[in-house]
Amino acid sequence: MRSDDATVVAPPSGRFRVFVIDDDDVMLLSCRRILEKAGYEVETFGNGHDGIGRLDQVRPHLLLVDLKMPELDGFQVIERVRAIDPEIVIAVLTGYATIASAVEAMKAGAYDFLPKPFTPDELRLLVNRGCERWHLAAESARLRREKEEAERRFVTFVTHQLKSPVVAAKQYLDVLLYTTRRDLSPQALDWLSRAQARLGEMLGLIDDWLTLSRVERGTFCDRQAAADLCEAVDRVVGGIRPQASSSNVTVRIHANGEVRVCGDVNSISTVASNLISNAVKYNRPGGSVDVSVSACGGMGVLEVSDTGIGIASESLPLLFREFSRIRTDETADVPGTGLGLAICKRIVDELCGTIEVDSRKDEGTRVVVRIPMAEGNPHEPGEDRTDHR
Amino acid sequence: MNQAKTVLIIDDDPDFVRAVGHLLRSAGYAVASASNGRDGLAHAKTARPDLILLDVMMQDRTEGFFTLEQIRDVPALRTTPVIVISSIYSDHPVFRVSPESGWLPADLFLPKPIEPARLLAESARLTAPGYVAGEATTGKGSELR
Repeated sequence: MRSDDATVVAPPSGRFRVFVIDDDDVMLLSCRRILEKAGYEVETFGNGHDGIGRLDQVRPHLLLVDLKMPELDGFQVIERVRAIDPEIVIAVLTGYATIASAVEAMKAGAYDFLPKPFTPDELRLLVNRGCERWHLAAESARLRREKEEAERRFVTFVTHQLKSPVVAAKQYLDVLLYTTRRDLSPQALDWLSRAQARLGEMLGLIDDWLTLSRVERGTFCDRQAAADLCEAVDRVVGGIRPQASSSNVTVRIHANGEVRVCGDVNSISTVASNLISNAVKYNRPGGSVDVSVSACGGMGVLEVSDTGIGIASESLPLLFREFSRIRTDETADVPGTGLGLAICKRIVDELCGTIEVDSRKDEGTRVVVRIPMAEGNPHEPGEDRTDHR
Repeated sequence: MNQAKTVLIIDDDPDFVRAVGHLLRSAGYAVASASNGRDGLAHAKTARPDLILLDVMMQDRTEGFFTLEQIRDVPALRTTPVIVISSIYSDHPVFRVSPESGWLPADLFLPKPIEPARLLAESARLTAPGYVAGEATTGKGSELR
């Protein structure tokens, strides 16, 4: 039997330890005999207080408890033991076995249930299963910790080892193209510009990847913070205007004042930035993007509509999946990482909001994000404030 | 003739120093460099540069932050403009630096790789005669990620 997990108080002998709590001395004695013979370390207690008190000195892997006892009954024991150490596996023994009491014991946190009277084999089977259960829980806790550690190391690796050389290479190209543009042959200029753009795409991918990983590990979003949707939209659109005008796409904002929602500026801006840049990228010359912010029913609402190329209905379900770029002739030349909408969805989920997409091929796409309003909003919830700018 | 403005680059990535140093020299600046915070601080004390470019993440992930504090502790360098550069910066703030808190007394944050036109424009602004260091710690430029 294994008990090498450092986070669980295992018996020094390494043997599986069982506590039995029952007000019937004969029952305690027979449990002790059967289980000790099977190789378990057993401690018995005639009432709940003594059993719970012993947890201060030593923790069992498995606790068998009678439901019906004077003073502390089985349910109260289960509740207190769960509060002290949720890793202790609990099974119930009872002479008053009914479906209702079994269900109640399970709800209280017991893992298994054995009606009295029982045979030695039945008891051994129950304890065996409890033992397996404990090992599985310990194993899954260990794996979870390992996975979190591996993810953390991976993010550090990506940031340093992967990103730094790309940054250095792109920095050379940026400076080279800036300082010697006029001296380069047309082919050198073209090739270096392409290399520069490809490295830029790769950096975008790394950044999106890191963002997604941070959102998933819960270290990106701050639900306790509050941010103004209008301000975030203004800032994001300001940054995107040069790209929009070079693609001949008009971006209009319909928002004024302040709509404060739950979430940090960073998360809110990331969502707005991904949605608005998609609306510009997947648009057409002469097309437009309308971004509106309003407050409705306790939610801050961000709506981004475009007159772009739209999304075929069969592709809509794939939209929020990681790396699911929808490949058509029209999107072939549009740079993107395929992570933008996956990031938006995860952030909106973290902020307890919703995101909806409504799109028609060749007509355009409308994305609506709703995020709970932060307290202390200057505007009444439900007030719809849309104004054309 | 005016003497060239001097820029000190403190960064442990020699490729970055070479590329950005070339850019600044091509725009008429005199450039010096240091590959760690300690050497950078020592150089700044004696050479008194007109502008410092400081990487946040060198040997130690936060070395640049401490270097910045040490720079500001030197009376002669208190008003020297400092641009903090980092590849962990992007368009959105991640470190949640509050400009009001003033704990990071940098004049500007720029993401790596640095956009050449932006760096030259900001360098010209920060080394212009009327600029007072530490006054530009609000607004978009002061948010670090």
